[in-house]
Amino acid sequence: MTDACVEATGLTKYFESFKAVDHVSLRVPTGSIYGVLGPNGAGKTTSLRMMLGIIDPDEGTSRLFGGFKPQSVRHRIGYLPEERGLYPGMKAREAIAFMGALRGLDWTEGRRRAGDFMAELGLERVVDEKIRKMSKGMAQMVQLIGSIVHAPDLIVLDEPFSGLDPVNQERLETLVRRERDRGATILFSTHVMAHAERLCDRIAIIARSARRFEGTVDEARALLPMQVRYTPRDASGDVASALPADAVQRGADWLFSIEGDAVEPLLARITASGHGVAGLSITRPGLHDAFVHIVRQVDASFEADAAVDAIEESAA
Amino acid sequence: MSPVLRTIFVVARRDFLAIVATPTFLLFLLAPLFMIGMGALGGFGASQLADSARGAGRLVAIAGPDDVEALRAADARLRGALPGPRPAPLELRMAADGPDPVAVAQEKGRDTYAVMSGELASPRIVEREEGSRSGAYLALLAGEVLRDRAAGTVAAPRPRFESLKHGGTSIAAQQSMGFGAVFVIFLLTLLLAGQSVGMLAEEKGNKVIEILAAAAPLESVFLGKLLGLLGVAILFIAFWTAMAVGGGLIALTQVDPAALAEAGSAAAKAQAASAAIAVAPATGWPFFIAIGFCYFVMSFLLLGAIFLGVGAQAGTVREIQMLSLPITIFQVAMFSLCSGAASAPGSGLAKVAQIIPFSSPMAMAARAATDDARGVHLLALGWQAIWVALVIYLSVRLFRSGVLSGRSNWKFWKRGAKSVAAAADVAAHR
Repeated sequence: MTDACVEATGLTKYFESFKAVDHVSLRVPTGSIYGVLGPNGAGKTTSLRMMLGIIDPDEGTSRLFGGFKPQSVRHRIGYLPEERGLYPGMKAREAIAFMGALRGLDWTEGRRRAGDFMAELGLERVVDEKIRKMSKGMAQMVQLIGSIVHAPDLIVLDEPFSGLDPVNQERLETLVRRERDRGATILFSTHVMAHAERLCDRIAIIARSARRFEGTVDEARALLPMQVRYTPRDASGDVASALPADAVQRGADWLFSIEGDAVEPLLARITASGHGVAGLSITRPGLHDAFVHIVRQVDASFEADAAVDAIEESAA
Repeated sequence: MSPVLRTIFVVARRDFLAIVATPTFLLFLLAPLFMIGMGALGGFGASQLADSARGAGRLVAIAGPDDVEALRAADARLRGALPGPRPAPLELRMAADGPDPVAVAQEKGRDTYAVMSGELASPRIVEREEGSRSGAYLALLAGEVLRDRAAGTVAAPRPRFESLKHGGTSIAAQQSMGFGAVFVIFLLTLLLAGQSVGMLAEEKGNKVIEILAAAAPLESVFLGKLLGLLGVAILFIAFWTAMAVGGGLIALTQVDPAALAEAGSAAAKAQAASAAIAVAPATGWPFFIAIGFCYFVMSFLLLGAIFLGVGAQAGTVREIQMLSLPITIFQVAMFSLCSGAASAPGSGLAKVAQIIPFSSPMAMAARAATDDARGVHLLALGWQAIWVALVIYLSVRLFRSGVLSGRSNWKFWKRGAKSVAAAADVAAHR
């Protein structure tokens, strides 16, 4: 088994009586890109904050680089919080150097690296500009650079793509891959599935405060059956008898789903039925579909529980 | 350099530059105009204090059993008959106890203007100021007693006057110095440390706080912020000290040389006259100034830590403004306590003020003016440093459990109680 850079076990957090995070466990392999996915308010940010020791969990433990004291490895971590924050009166170069200095990087070296990073990202013309004069996207890139300027071993990015235009999103993806190639472990949260699908080696899906899935992107997609659209050449007779029970007709097309290992048997049945094939598409669901499926299942389960509670209460 | 120290330095550097490198800092530097007004008020208070302390002075006569009652009677007769202000009360001591008149003149707690001892015909009179009215009055008393006893004409007594070389600083002057130290520390703390109430507002407003919290221990962030502000305060003090010294030197160059020489001559005379009095705090000027600075630093850190901790709970500018009033009232209450302590050195009130951590720096600075014990200041600085650490620790716990966790700002007293209970629980299990 690969070494774990981050290992959270049973993290739980209450805000007053509300359980914001419910026994979340994650294991982030060293050198991987790991995505924490979830709808708004699912508990992603609180989980990340607990893992980094910014707030204390009410239950559970978190290990970074094998140790239980996040404070002792702060210099090895880069963190971009969800709520972006920079001193507006600081120049970009100084802001980056300041963030590096907080993590132990020499101030002069921080300034030098700030210039290099900004040039690489096409921001060299604003390197000595004050933050308050920058656009939101530029300031966000400055903060991102500030979180990695000290070449950390673990980079934690909370919703890093929000607020960025497509060009900067692309730059950020490139930067993330490059940092991973350098040897860093990247842990980021998002509710935009496209980024996770392109970047992540592994993902965890958090919904209603608890972890609902953990694995690779392919494993998540495999949770859903493949979607089939079949158009028979000869629609006369009983076409449905050759198709799965959930098949529904939409005009000339039949729509239904099959498991991954049922493709060949389906083709055999269609061939044997004699209706022929005018059109056939078999689509593997994306991460987006898997995510929506998982979240809806959780929501439905909660609603069912709530209904049962209501009935029991009224009966009592 | 350890990571914690490095973080403290990084945060302090950022805050120092963020404050100093702005145009508003110039406005801040002009604040002493307000200080001058307050100074006048403080001077008035010190003067009142000196007047009240002056009334506590005394004359002492050390005499044999036969002379004591005679001196008392003579004092009763002459006291009301003399023109001008009345002499200080006379205290009579028995010669059999063998007190040393110089030691009596230097006793702490009261001003002793003159001490008479020996035979009344040729008494030894130790004065705090050479040629003082008090010494002359004691000589007059001796002559009056001799005249009462003699049937006919009697020769005038031949007193031997001595003046104290050292240790004769007026208690009143020392108390005034003590009050001055209290006032200066209070004023500077009021002007400078109070700003820390809004220091975390910037970080909370622009969301930098989470970066700081993730990157460094919050304790070092809080302490770094306080030290950054302390740096600004010291710069401020250095600026105005330099201005005062520079202004004084420039003024000197504007004076006519002849007048200056004359003034110098007068000053030399005044200096010679005051040499006997040697107006100085009990611990000496160098120690008093150094320890006064240390107490200013501790007072700044203590009150600044409270303001920073309370201010960190505020979510809006309006809340910060609301917090300013109780904080100022708290400061004034500590000042009042220490003023009382300065006017009654060695009293129970003074001891209470020296022990309460938030009044301790001011009260101990006042003590350094009237009490020559030095070791106790090291103890006091240690005690205050413990409280600085404790206040920062509790402030950080409140901040972490409340603001960073997104809980209600204004339930911090409940969380404070929980934090204290949790800390006590941890301590109990160690």
